[in-house]
Amino acid sequence: MRDLELPPELTVEHCLELDAREEFPDALCDSLTDLGAERLYLPGVPAERLLAMIRDLAGRDFTVALAHCKTYLGSVATWVGGSPAQVAGLAAKVSGGAVVSLALTERDHGSDALAGDVTATPVPGGYRVDGEKWLINNATRADVVCVLARTGNKGDARGFSLFLVDKHSLPAGTYRCLPKVATHGVRGADISGIRFTGAVVPADAMIGEPGRGLEILLKGLQITRTLCGGMSLGMGEHALRTVLEFAENHRMYGRRLADLPLATRALADSYVDLLVAEAVTVVSTRSIHSLTGEQSLISAIVKYYVPTLIDRTIQRLAKVLGARALLMDGPFQKIWRDHAIVGVFDGNTWVNLSTLVNQFPALTRGYRDARVDQEGLAAATGLKQPLPPLDPGRLSLAARDGCSLVQSLAVSPDAPEELRDRADRLHRSMAEWRPRGREVPPELFGLARDYAQLYAAAACVRVWADNALDDVWLRACLARVFGRPDEATEHLLDLTRRGRPFSFLRGVTDHDT
Amino acid sequence: MTLDHIRLWLRERVAFYVERTPEEIDPDAKLVEVGLDSVFAMSLSGDIEDEFGLVVEPTVAWDHPTVNALADHLHAEVA
Repeated sequence: MRDLELPPELTVEHCLELDAREEFPDALCDSLTDLGAERLYLPGVPAERLLAMIRDLAGRDFTVALAHCKTYLGSVATWVGGSPAQVAGLAAKVSGGAVVSLALTERDHGSDALAGDVTATPVPGGYRVDGEKWLINNATRADVVCVLARTGNKGDARGFSLFLVDKHSLPAGTYRCLPKVATHGVRGADISGIRFTGAVVPADAMIGEPGRGLEILLKGLQITRTLCGGMSLGMGEHALRTVLEFAENHRMYGRRLADLPLATRALADSYVDLLVAEAVTVVSTRSIHSLTGEQSLISAIVKYYVPTLIDRTIQRLAKVLGARALLMDGPFQKIWRDHAIVGVFDGNTWVNLSTLVNQFPALTRGYRDARVDQEGLAAATGLKQPLPPLDPGRLSLAARDGCSLVQSLAVSPDAPEELRDRADRLHRSMAEWRPRGREVPPELFGLARDYAQLYAAAACVRVWADNALDDVWLRACLARVFGRPDEATEHLLDLTRRGRPFSFLRGVTDHDT
Repeated sequence: MTLDHIRLWLRERVAFYVERTPEEIDPDAKLVEVGLDSVFAMSLSGDIEDEFGLVVEPTVAWDHPTVNALADHLHAEVA
């Protein structure tokens, strides 16, 4: 089932030309809007449908995906924390094709949102916004910008508020868009900035209560960080398809490159990496609806694990191309450049790992007590199970009861012995560390990585058990998660080379349609 | 549950996390200024649940940002 057929002019070749000219894909974005892509950004749309579109778009061209889907990132804080009137007002604008951007980062502060210098000062009738936001996707093109601004003290988590700033309603001279910066990847994207100078916005531009900005923002990011998995999936699949096609046709040592054992292994490993990434991303996206209160953890795991995994996959695929990876500038090279940003934006890898580390106490307690939301977990991993609509009120900045998926390993009869042993050992190590309220020791990041790996393995086990997938799928996925060779991996690749679709899980859900 | 008990427990907890003695924690200083990271401060909600059986928002320490303010809030909740 597809919500959106991609426009015919959205071809890889055309996008490569635009990229070479560092040109924004205006016409392609307009076509997507004409086709109604923006309706998937509205509140109430199941997250899986938006994920599918992001994955499809990123699988064709990431610059276009980033340029168009940014409107969801700009809107999500309003869906999560806005009043009914704000939600209705923004929904009308988005439905009308408005571009919405999120202006969070500043030149001197990067991921340190609490150090933000942009201020919003109360004035009669509203707030006056001053200061500069930089490296903002679509800052220049946007009609509406969602701005995080300081309304209290620097460093105070309650010192920031979010404002929906409609650029069209600002008096001339109160804001200026900054020039697009030259970037390593997504060269056509509008990565720019915006500087406000006494820009007065009405009081009802504030999303939620004063001081709630950071909380609302972080809750919204729990959704978008999860959806970032779809970007990696789309690009990873595109990269594998490109390299596989080359390897099937290129002859070396008297046979096809794809049949050289080392190349076969690299392709097979890459393929199964994608299956793992798919299981993790799909389960985690469904969790937005059914394990909503755990999404602070789940989103951090996906946002760390999937882009990191696919970065490595692309690196491995580059080795299959050999010198050709560096000789020309084709689809693979663009993906290689473009994908590098996924692990950085929207909360980078270290930010996400430290989110996990900060929740170790809840995770060790949750595992010890085997706390599992069985109903929510079954809905997340049973791909045909109905999902409740998202209740944003259930989003929370910390998962009180830990992570149902990992904790289910302690009690699930389907859990392989190996996995339970790993889980026991890991939680013991996590519990041995004395929790610290500042400066996370680097060693704990290693445990957080192990935790994400365990989550990925658990996702595979539950998806396999709850959807009657082949045993060979599970064997291959677990082998990849833990980085050991297994002939099941090559067997799966062989099926794909003989025409089986790339995605196993799409096969599961597509039976419905 | 007396206010004094809650305050004492909280001060010890904060001291433990920032690796100081309880006496070194000014109960009227902002937890951030004492050295408690504001993201980490959310895990206090788990400790509070364990200790007092009281379910509070993870952001409770953002809204009551000193030992005394948080103790007052918890005391009112327990009562």
